[in-house]
Amino acid sequence: MKVLMKPIEMIAWFNGEKFPVPLRFRLQAEDGSNLVIKIDRILFQEEEKLAGNRMVVYRCEGVVQGLNKIFELKYEILTCKWFLFKI
Amino acid sequence: MSDRIIFHIDVNSAYLSWEAAYRLQHGSQTDLREIPSIVGGDQEKRHGIVLAKSIPAKKFGIITGETIHAAREKCPGLVMVPPNYYRYILASDAMVDLLQEYSPLIQRYSIDEVFLDYSNMDIPFMDAAREMSGRIENDLGFTVNIGIGPNKLLAKMASDFSKPNKIHTLFHHQMEEKMWGLPVQDLFMVGSRTARKLNGRGIFTIGHLASLDRDYIHSWLKKPGLLIWEYANGIENSEVRRGGTPIKSVGNSTTLPFDVETREEAHKVLLAISEMIGMRARDLEMCGWVISVSIKNHLFYSCSHQKKLTGPTDATSTIYSYAALLFDELWDGEPLRHLSISLSQLQSSEFFQLSILEPFDVRNRSLDRTIDSLRSKFGQNSIYRSCFLHSGIDPVIGGVVMEESYPMMSSYL
Repeated sequence: MKVLMKPIEMIAWFNGEKFPVPLRFRLQAEDGSNLVIKIDRILFQEEEKLAGNRMVVYRCEGVVQGLNKIFELKYEILTCKWFLFKI
Repeated sequence: MSDRIIFHIDVNSAYLSWEAAYRLQHGSQTDLREIPSIVGGDQEKRHGIVLAKSIPAKKFGIITGETIHAAREKCPGLVMVPPNYYRYILASDAMVDLLQEYSPLIQRYSIDEVFLDYSNMDIPFMDAAREMSGRIENDLGFTVNIGIGPNKLLAKMASDFSKPNKIHTLFHHQMEEKMWGLPVQDLFMVGSRTARKLNGRGIFTIGHLASLDRDYIHSWLKKPGLLIWEYANGIENSEVRRGGTPIKSVGNSTTLPFDVETREEAHKVLLAISEMIGMRARDLEMCGWVISVSIKNHLFYSCSHQKKLTGPTDATSTIYSYAALLFDELWDGEPLRHLSISLSQLQSSEFFQLSILEPFDVRNRSLDRTIDSLRSKFGQNSIYRSCFLHSGIDPVIGGVVMEESYPMMSSYL
């Protein structure tokens, strides 16, 4: 997996559990077109507190341009921002 | 008292480590700690000094506090990152939260240093220290030095021995072996001037200072001498204070992006600093008796002037009027790069004696209070004096975020 740390637009589900559940997100591909990726499965999630900044890391599985891929998302609690961390 | 166990926890190159950990979290491929790098102020605004350096940068001879220009000359490929205090406070808070699981008695000595009282705990102190440092490294992504001793002074001396990511102990029986051989300027509270005085009489090590006769040092260096003599002998018994160190003065300063050449401009800067000091003093519910002003000109020559008032004050306008008065007496017309004001001899503002020599208007107090509450609700620049319009000077100047809760440096243990 390669580190990207790209900001993404996210639809997530807040179900009363500790962390939100990511459902699908959109990011701009290199050619400028929008790419929507649905999260089929969350393999695991964990909170990290590096330098005191709380972030939730999700390892997910989903179909990206016709290929089943594993990628990591990050949710920064302080700023409510989502990132595509690694793919 | 003899079985007190005090920890001093000190973050290794704090600002830089925090910056590095934050950047790694945000996908940066390089760890700032592994390359020559510094955290430094903005050179454009002339706040260009090294605030923290990495260990590879240290090998180039870069020292904290020198100008960025000088640092760059020593190491041309130096990576520089601007500081972000808000992030550092987050990191510092996270560390204190973690440490609170080990002891309720914690004193935040500065943003990156903490004293922790570990007396009479179940887990042996060495195991606890190893666990703390391991958890800080794994969970928070930076390393600390832990010094363990029977009092705050020895704990602080111990955490300074060798870095990074180490645990050292310094108990009274280890002083001879671990501390007395060190040069005298390594002792807490011995600055360069005291060191020069001591060296002048042939005292070069802490051990030598400790072995001197108590009366001799008292007659020579008076009370401060006695203090460092006690420190050299490991005598110190202050409590781990939860509230931090008591505040003795409120001061703010600014290095200006341009040299100030006119009296009018300088007064505006003083007013902006007074706004900050007044706000902070009122927030602490303190008022002060002494106002002092210090200035530094474009040749880095600095001087100061102070005045004791006839009654204590926390009013912005009073602070400003005396600061301006002191400034006019002090200034010789040279272009200025740095101005500062401080308010000291503080006392509670709950009750205080008014002076018959000083006009006092209750309406001023309520005006100040109203402005404070507006600013705390809507931001510092939500309301300001019209003289700052188009002046190019910030209407409120001063300081790193919330200095009062995170003193940058203190001489009180």
